Amino acid sequence: MSVSVLIVEDGPEFMRRFSDAVLADAGLSLAGAVSTVAAARAMLDATRPDVMLLDLGLPDGDGVEVIRHAARHHPQCDVLVVTMFGDDGHVLSSIEAGATGYLLKDAMPERIAAAIHEVHAGGSPISPGIARRVLQRFRVAPEPAAATRAAPPAAPDASPLTERETDILRLVAKGLSFETVGQVLGISPHTVVTHVKRIYRKLAVHSRGEAVYEAGQMGLL
Amino acid sequence: MKPARWACCSAPGAAAFARDAVRAVVRVAAAVLAAGGAALAMAAAADVGDGVIELRRAQLLVQDTMTPPPEHAAWQPVELPGWRNATTWYRLDFDTARATEATRGSWGVYLPYFYGGGRLLVNGEPIALIPEIGSGHRVRWERPQLVVIPDALLREGRNTLHVRAAIAHLPSGARLPRVTVGPLAELQPMHDRRLFWVRTMPQVTVACCAVVGLFVLAIWLRRRDEVLYGLFGLAALLWGVRTLTFVVELLPESWWPYWRVLYHGATGGFIIVMTIFSLRMGGWVRPWLERALVGYALLGPLAYLVSGGNEQLIGRWWIAGTIPIGLGMVAISVAAAWRRRDAATVALMLGIGIATASGIHDYMLAWGSPWLRAVAPEWSGHRFFLLHYGADLLLLVMGAVLTARFIQTLGALEDLNRTLESRVAQRERELEQNYARVAALQRENAAADERQRIMRDLHDGLGSRLFTSLSRVERGELDRTAVAQSLRECIADMRLALEAMAPDGHDFLVAWGNFRFRWQNELDAAGIASQWQVDAPDDASDDAIALPPHCGLQLLRIAQEALTNTLKHAQAQHVLVRLAARDDTLVMEIVDDGRGLPDEVPAGGRGLDNMRSRAQRLGATLTMQSSRHGTQLRLELPLGSPAAPADTTAASAVAAA
Repeated sequence: MSVSVLIVEDGPEFMRRFSDAVLADAGLSLAGAVSTVAAARAMLDATRPDVMLLDLGLPDGDGVEVIRHAARHHPQCDVLVVTMFGDDGHVLSSIEAGATGYLLKDAMPERIAAAIHEVHAGGSPISPGIARRVLQRFRVAPEPAAATRAAPPAAPDASPLTERETDILRLVAKGLSFETVGQVLGISPHTVVTHVKRIYRKLAVHSRGEAVYEAGQMGLL
Repeated sequence: MKPARWACCSAPGAAAFARDAVRAVVRVAAAVLAAGGAALAMAAAADVGDGVIELRRAQLLVQDTMTPPPEHAAWQPVELPGWRNATTWYRLDFDTARATEATRGSWGVYLPYFYGGGRLLVNGEPIALIPEIGSGHRVRWERPQLVVIPDALLREGRNTLHVRAAIAHLPSGARLPRVTVGPLAELQPMHDRRLFWVRTMPQVTVACCAVVGLFVLAIWLRRRDEVLYGLFGLAALLWGVRTLTFVVELLPESWWPYWRVLYHGATGGFIIVMTIFSLRMGGWVRPWLERALVGYALLGPLAYLVSGGNEQLIGRWWIAGTIPIGLGMVAISVAAAWRRRDAATVALMLGIGIATASGIHDYMLAWGSPWLRAVAPEWSGHRFFLLHYGADLLLLVMGAVLTARFIQTLGALEDLNRTLESRVAQRERELEQNYARVAALQRENAAADERQRIMRDLHDGLGSRLFTSLSRVERGELDRTAVAQSLRECIADMRLALEAMAPDGHDFLVAWGNFRFRWQNELDAAGIASQWQVDAPDDASDDAIALPPHCGLQLLRIAQEALTNTLKHAQAQHVLVRLAARDDTLVMEIVDDGRGLPDEVPAGGRGLDNMRSRAQRLGATLTMQSSRHGTQLRLELPLGSPAAPADTTAASAVAAA
């Protein structure tokens, strides 16, 4: 059972690169390759892919709309956002919209396939910059010396993150790899990946909750 | 009354109220004076109450004996009030038959004035002994006298009253007013009325003048520019002193000359100070004139001392000189009122006019002006000296005028404060705008500096790398892998710049984290085991290492260069990357267990030189140890280095934007 992949990318060079990477991997199948928001929606609904590779800057709109569409109608579909450098604000807003990972544009073909497999298997990559932003988003102090200091007093609006998730984010923000994080916390790298994926989900839910709250405040609901 | 007025003006908020109050006080004062005049006139009326006999004629004999001269002595008939320049006996007959049964009871003798003291006898029996000048003391009775006639002495029909009028020094001679005989019940109110006007009023005046004068002078002492207050305080004090000489009726002989000097000095001084006040009030400051006036004021008391107490010279002639001064003062006040045409100067003009008129009246009365006696014989007989009241009124007006001015000043001050406040607020706004402009300019400058750095960086780093690659590709020196490698290096360099310039602030550890994340993957992929250590201060704030972004970028570049060398050339198994910030020094160490640096620098390997020049630009020291067992790079950057603070401020300005 191969993993079906939808590619949404307006740059022909990169569309080809990503397509080649998918086609070269026996475990992956290409559901489609489109370059607009409208086509992406249509293909999502028509092919119901397992994974979507998505570039945000599309000629007819914002890729975030496609993520929202996927999150609402095809929750089984993992979204990998294609990014130039991996830790910009776009990645975070994509995650909040429902993306579960990101992919560097200059990644080697084998890395592209590996990332797709990882995300489908339930893992998510996370860079120190994004970990830091996530911690800020949940208003958790980013850098206490966890070893020497007692756990920070619970914030008044209790963070939705568990202590373990917070620890992972702090270590990742320091630049530790998942393996090292796992060693430090005494858990397997695989568990770290699962935690990160859960953090992504929480982030999406959190941002949706905030959006609902704010919409209520503005009288839209 | 006066203290109360001053008290109320100390509350600046009630300015309007106080202004009205002052006007009311002036009106009341005028009314009181008018009523007083009426009362005086009533007291002067000849026809008084039931059964009261006013004796207008008497017999007199100039003779300084303690017992009355006998019936057959050379008595001379005289109209009262009588005056002789020596101690005199008067004999007055009165008939009790005129008194009705109903008014019988205790009778008395009422003397409106009895300056020199003396004795009173009824039907040969003494009924009063009022101290006279002599035996080391002087008297000057201002008060009226009411003497009770014991019932037993009074005979049905004709009675005889003997009065010894002792000689007085002031007013000089022995004087006897018209004597009133009658029931006490009738005489008492007459006596009390006069007592109030000639004794109680002066006492009150002394007290009020002392309090107000000292109070106002105290104000003036703290505010020397307010000359009008000083003059008013001085005038009040002088007037108080002058009035005091009337309140003290009995004093030791030796004090007398000083007492008179005090009296003359106070009188003259009061007139002069008032004149200067009205000049200043009208806006005329004439120092020479003021000096001349003060000189004249001092002349009187001095002349009195020099002439050995020549009362005639001073009391008559020097005091007369103050009359033209007083008239001048009236003229000045009229001119001021004409010029200013406000309530204050008009009120002052009226006050000065009344005071001057009463002063002239008193002068004529004191020196027995025949003209006055001819015009108002009844009135002059009562010897009411009016300056006491005229001057009181004048002081009242002055006080009211100054109070009004004071309140006006307070109001003006409040206005000024409001204006100032609004100006200050406006200035603050301007300053804020200026500050905002300056801050914007600083931000722009900082941003421009930063842009310049980025541009230089692009030019020297990515740019030169791309150009080198381009020319080598064109020369056909690079194959596909080499081109890809070169481009990957370019991307890595750009990524480094983005990491260092990330808007996450100046925490170098954030950039370091991203750097570590990326490089650990690369080293892992190359099969090099990497060990990363971060040894940052563990203080309460954060274990952040604050560095301006461009400094951080240079550090990352050096680290990247070193790691690239390790990756490409060293054939290392392990690498240790250590970052430590201790004691204001940042230490970065990269140690590998490779084969060390080649003896000669490989072609295109300007990496080492680059690292050195970057370190130099940062103000850091770079040491490199290389052997066949590995390479050790150590960089030390003083965190308080001269290059860093300037850049930090620029960077923080950017951050503030």
